[in-house]
Amino acid sequence: MIGGKVMLEIKNIHKSFGKNEILKGVDLQIDRGDVVVILGPSGSGKTTLLRCINFLERADQGQAIFGDIHVNLKSATKKQIHQIRQRIAFVFQNYNLFTNKTVLENVTEGLIIGRKVPKADANELGQQALAKVGLADKLNSYPSELSGGQQQRVGIARAIALNPDIILFDEPTSALDPELVGEVLTVMKNIAKEGTTMLVVTHEMSFAKDVANRVIFMDGGVIVEENSPKEIFSRPKEERTQHFLRRVIPEDFIYNI
Amino acid sequence: MSVGLDVPFLVKTFFVALSGVPIALLITIVSLLIALPLGFLLALSRINRIPVISQLARVYVSFVRGTPVIVQIFIIFTSVPLLLAPIFEKYHVKTSIYDINPIWYAFIVFSLNTTAILIEVFRSAISTVSKGQLEAAYSVGLNNVQAFRRILIPQILVVALPNICTATVNLIKATSLGYALSLREITLKAQVAANVGYNFIEAYIDIFLVYLILCSLVETLFKLYEKRLRKYKAAAA
Repeated sequence: MIGGKVMLEIKNIHKSFGKNEILKGVDLQIDRGDVVVILGPSGSGKTTLLRCINFLERADQGQAIFGDIHVNLKSATKKQIHQIRQRIAFVFQNYNLFTNKTVLENVTEGLIIGRKVPKADANELGQQALAKVGLADKLNSYPSELSGGQQQRVGIARAIALNPDIILFDEPTSALDPELVGEVLTVMKNIAKEGTTMLVVTHEMSFAKDVANRVIFMDGGVIVEENSPKEIFSRPKEERTQHFLRRVIPEDFIYNI
Repeated sequence: MSVGLDVPFLVKTFFVALSGVPIALLITIVSLLIALPLGFLLALSRINRIPVISQLARVYVSFVRGTPVIVQIFIIFTSVPLLLAPIFEKYHVKTSIYDINPIWYAFIVFSLNTTAILIEVFRSAISTVSKGQLEAAYSVGLNNVQAFRRILIPQILVVALPNICTATVNLIKATSLGYALSLREITLKAQVAANVGYNFIEAYIDIFLVYLILCSLVETLFKLYEKRLRKYKAAAA
């Protein structure tokens, strides 16, 4: 665990795919206990930003400060990447549960193999994490036997079992049927209440409004505006933010405290 | 000359043919042990478009697939001594090149051949496993080797297994061409026995039966193994 207040600091991150520049110099600071939601139109670079932080994509330029680890995002060594991944957990849009493993094995795999936790302890931690997401009765099921909402809850349990410093959520409800979104958001709200540091890319405005303490609006590979949810939803300063919010928020969505 | 089968000879020769099974199996197992990892790695090089290796693998596959095994045997059998002769001379190896046990040639030909087939088998199997599985493995702190061993390979194997089974059965049958190398395997042994009294029909029936039994057994073993591996898929069905 990191001692200070700042969990993660990203400086001047750039990333292109071919000639297409997706991230054009993004700075980001996340403090302990923060729940930061990133909003923005598709193609704005939200997901790429998340993937670069966890080295699922290699940034072209940029620095990351992660407690005592200072890395260049472009030239980080395998060892540094491994260290950082030990502290960050990732929840994927398409769940990406290990299809050949049971629910419990999915959650304990990273503990036993990645972190060398003894198997009995890992099973204990795994069961606790699954109980938190309401799936204590599915330990021995395979992912293919679960609904999308249940699979994503396993994905979240897999992340929290690792006891990471921060969890990155990449559009965790976008692949779900509308009636299954609620159960996943409820779980996310609960772990946010426990003080988990979270960086969430989502289109769920209600989650941003109710749970986030900070909202970042991204467009065209840069952060356009960053503020408390109250400010950003009721008094967006930038024209691009206003335009985006008008499009995605229904007329009757009223921000009230 | 009496019409009909010489049944005592048929029975006796069946066991002669059967005594060729260890050689056939040895060639099969050695070839698979070489071809499985090599085919897998080359398939990965094709999918990840590793320069040079990927192109070589592609050319290699088309060469092997586009030529009969018997011709490959003749080419290896005639060219390897030519390549080895200067090396043997240089390092003063006493053994005569022509005393090399022909089974070494069989190992070479069938390994090369099976590798080419398995490259294609693995290439299609690997592409069925989503990239997200690897990313998820990285995200929970697994390294490359752990991710492949624990997450990807088990999933790839399930998809590849029916085709690996076909390749294995084809390989067992192809070892019958070892008679061209004077290998004392199933076909040659039975034929030699038949030469004495010209009982070729009996000998061929025996050969036929031995391969049939052997291949059926191997197929059954593969089916059982597949059933075990598929456990996680069967759950959904």
